[in-house]
Amino acid sequence: MKRRKTKNIVLVIVALLIAFLFLLPLIWMLFTSFKTLSESMSSSTILPKEWTFENYTSIFASTSDTPIIRWILNTGIVTIIGTLLVVFVDVLAAYALARLRVPGKKVILAFVVGALTIPGIVSLFPAFYIFKSFNLLDTFIPLTVTYSAGSMGVFLIYNFLLDFPKDLEEAAYIDGASQWTILRHVILPSIRPVMATLAVITFMAIYNDYLWPSIVVNSNEMKTLTLGIATLVQGSNFVNPARMMASTVIATIPAIIVFLICNKYFVKSATNTGIK
Amino acid sequence: MQNNKSAKTWAVLLVSPFVICFILFWLIPVLFGIWMSFHNWNLNSGNNGFIGLQNYIEILTPGTLYNDYFISSLKNTLIFVLVSVIPLVIIALILALIIDNLPIKFKPLFRTIYFISYSISVTAVSSIFLWLFNNNGGFINNVLKSIGIIKEPINWLGEQPYAWISILVATVWWTIGFNMILFINALDEVDSSLYEAADIDGAGFMAKFRYITLPSIKNVSLFIVIMTIIASFNLYGQTKLITAGGPEQSTTTLTMNIQNVVQNMNQLGIGSAMAILMGIIMFFITVAQFFLTNNKKSLKEGSGK
Repeated sequence: MKRRKTKNIVLVIVALLIAFLFLLPLIWMLFTSFKTLSESMSSSTILPKEWTFENYTSIFASTSDTPIIRWILNTGIVTIIGTLLVVFVDVLAAYALARLRVPGKKVILAFVVGALTIPGIVSLFPAFYIFKSFNLLDTFIPLTVTYSAGSMGVFLIYNFLLDFPKDLEEAAYIDGASQWTILRHVILPSIRPVMATLAVITFMAIYNDYLWPSIVVNSNEMKTLTLGIATLVQGSNFVNPARMMASTVIATIPAIIVFLICNKYFVKSATNTGIK
Repeated sequence: MQNNKSAKTWAVLLVSPFVICFILFWLIPVLFGIWMSFHNWNLNSGNNGFIGLQNYIEILTPGTLYNDYFISSLKNTLIFVLVSVIPLVIIALILALIIDNLPIKFKPLFRTIYFISYSISVTAVSSIFLWLFNNNGGFINNVLKSIGIIKEPINWLGEQPYAWISILVATVWWTIGFNMILFINALDEVDSSLYEAADIDGAGFMAKFRYITLPSIKNVSLFIVIMTIIASFNLYGQTKLITAGGPEQSTTTLTMNIQNVVQNMNQLGIGSAMAILMGIIMFFITVAQFFLTNNKKSLKEGSGK
């Protein structure tokens, strides 16, 4: 018993040390954003000696260089519309494939699974070229609709429904309920957890996407936060770690908040995309 | 259950939004990419004629410009796959084992902390690590200097192997939590009666790990290894932003190279062919890995008893 207690104490200490290593870059980012330029370049301590809010005020002030409010708005529009679209089309399709007689069901399912094995790079630049040909670069269209082609969500919900008992739906059907009523009042409430999982991982994937927005967006006004940070990292006039960290804090906080609130869905998503 | 016409109409109606999106934004681009790879296709002037396999031949013929680009970026990508997969899998397993053995009330807290960096975008990760490792005024050099370990700043981002080390550290910090969660779930599902039986026999931690844990998580481990290889193969954001492909193009990866060929050199045909070749390589890695591990499994089972 005593040995076990010592073992636990040692483990917790080790776990704490590792936790510190994991949090260190984030803590450093936060405190550096309050340092002055000269201190941020020369400092070897985490905490600032002299605190300043200048980094944050200058980011919000220079609207041509860093239109951060616009980036936040863009990110909100893109992530919300993108996520709603993905969840909408995926839930309907997964329900139809799992429960109804869809013509060509086998072909559709083969494509859904097959597409998962083909890396994104294969469709990326052709898709960019198609949007370019229709003069849709630098609009919200490629930034939102493209994610709906992903088949992971269909796969996720389809598998969930296959394992889910049909009794309730059959009872509703015998009672004369329409397909729509069954979908709305029987299916949707029962798949809510897996829908939430899909919504959370889609939201985070769109929020954090860098490669696709960097291809289809040119103007500063159409950038998302994630893309905006990349521009700042690459920008030659932004050799200021304190200001860089302040903008990174702004871009990171929404993602961390969503992550902490929806932590359990993340853990679930890792399970669901993994092998059972 | 559904045998009338309206049920079929419903089925078509419900499945079609996804099918339309899938065809428009995935299937057509993929097929169009294959089509373009057989043409001399320029980003600005468009289709300049069918050239058969010429793009592929050019990429695969030693000595040509595109062969040089493709092979060197493939080599760089493979280097990263080689150096990253082992730490990304082993460290994740160690973290999962630590969490699995913690007192139950601490588990969720540490699991969340180790997983938190996964929620951040690659651009934020790059921004942070660019300034941690920066040669000029970076935090790590400042700390190392102030405690007297180094006199001159280490050129973390401008010299090899430091550049790969910096990219690796950033990647491990960013993505390790995902592999860890998969391992934690796998460890949870190990039959606990096996451990109890081993305890009665007086087996130590290493013996239990070797003979119970490892065999039980073998399938999940294989899955994690493949996922990690594929993720490392797709390396893009970190090298684009932290090292900008340098020093001397040594961290220019396949994806970066394809983007350069398409967006800076306007060679959409060549770029499409490169993307398809990259897709084929990744597909074969997955298949090869699968067969290798299956063979090992049958060998082990054959000699095991």
